[in-house]
Amino acid sequence: MKTIVSFALACLISLCTAHATVDDALSYALQAAQPYVKEGFTVREDYWGGDLPVKQTKAIVQQLFKGNEYWFWMGTDVANAKISVHVYDAEGHLAEVEYWRNKPHMAAARVVPKVSGSYYLIVEIEKSPLERTHWALAYGFR
Amino acid sequence: MIKFSSTACTALRKHAPALRVHRWTKAGLLSVLLAAFTGSACLAQSEPPRHIDVGSLPATVVDDVVIPVPTEVFGVLDKLGSPNWHEVLRSVKTENLGNRTQVALLLGATIAEGFIAVESQEAEEVKKIGRQVLTLSKAIGVQKSVISRTSSIIEAADKKNWKVIRLEFDGASKDVKQAMVELGDDQLAQLVSLGGWLRGTEALTQVVTKNYSKDGAELLHQPAIVDFFQRKLDSLHPRLKESSLVKKIAHQLPELRTLIEPAGGVSPQKVEKIHSITAELVKAISSQD
Repeated sequence: MKTIVSFALACLISLCTAHATVDDALSYALQAAQPYVKEGFTVREDYWGGDLPVKQTKAIVQQLFKGNEYWFWMGTDVANAKISVHVYDAEGHLAEVEYWRNKPHMAAARVVPKVSGSYYLIVEIEKSPLERTHWALAYGFR
Repeated sequence: MIKFSSTACTALRKHAPALRVHRWTKAGLLSVLLAAFTGSACLAQSEPPRHIDVGSLPATVVDDVVIPVPTEVFGVLDKLGSPNWHEVLRSVKTENLGNRTQVALLLGATIAEGFIAVESQEAEEVKKIGRQVLTLSKAIGVQKSVISRTSSIIEAADKKNWKVIRLEFDGASKDVKQAMVELGDDQLAQLVSLGGWLRGTEALTQVVTKNYSKDGAELLHQPAIVDFFQRKLDSLHPRLKESSLVKKIAHQLPELRTLIEPAGGVSPQKVEKIHSITAELVKAISSQD
């Protein structure tokens, strides 16, 4: 019985830790968004998050509308990790008009869609001292 | 690589007077050039590829799609013209609620109505909708998750702070879905998104039908979203699939998928057809099951 309780507690703690680090990653993504909020961007409450090993990418399909301007902000809780987010259109062409990834914990990409439709957001942990690195991606529009 | 360096050196020699001012030695100059070249090569290596093959993505694809809030679409319509949002706004009834499936769909549609009320700047209607969101959330046991949101909506409506109201409706939608997931009702949570999308699309087509423009109609090109909802309805628990409302929506989604193609080619006739389908579905959601 004791073993089961200990195991359940260990699982719970590890779950809480995982959740906390995605939350931390999100807080960096939202920190990256702050200057743009002042420029009139509305930040969505929904976000994506998880953990990834180095050099493995994740693709997110997202609907974007012509007439809006979008920023995607990526964050990680790992200080010396290098992360990136890039945006491609439905045909696979690089669609972002601007990006940056030279700040600790953060990276971002800006898109002004030429057509309304599906876009691919590719997130990557380029470098990290950890085996798996937590990340979160938020977006805003105006 | 060597050829590039020597060419660059030759080019620099032409500008020697300027360089001499800094008294750079040849060796120093070469090391600066080398460093600059190495730096630019590194930069070039880490530049994102200009093109990727979306047919075989070099990445695992996240199954979840973030459904746009109606404001994302309505904002574009506002830039294209001045839609009469008062005409689009509709009063929502929350009496005689049906089963949980219907309530989840209606909750999504009601939140979407909240965004329309904000567009039409109807503070009283916003407050009424805020209270209805609470009533509907209570009917499916997630009212705790939205109490503070609905209070903020009502408070902000008194101050006519439309920006805050938009954020709170978005937050309310996220919070109720999150609460449903925590209760093990994640499939029901998807129905909240679906109800909101259907009402948002009905409103969009009403505006575009009234004043057709190619740019306005292009907003309907949302293949990823329709595909996502089709996947979610296909994977619903048989008990939820048995709902006549779900059956009705599942039956119409493939036709909507066809109508929204191709990008930039949603004709006035297609817009009207999408409007009649979504209006019928929203009416069914708002009626007793």
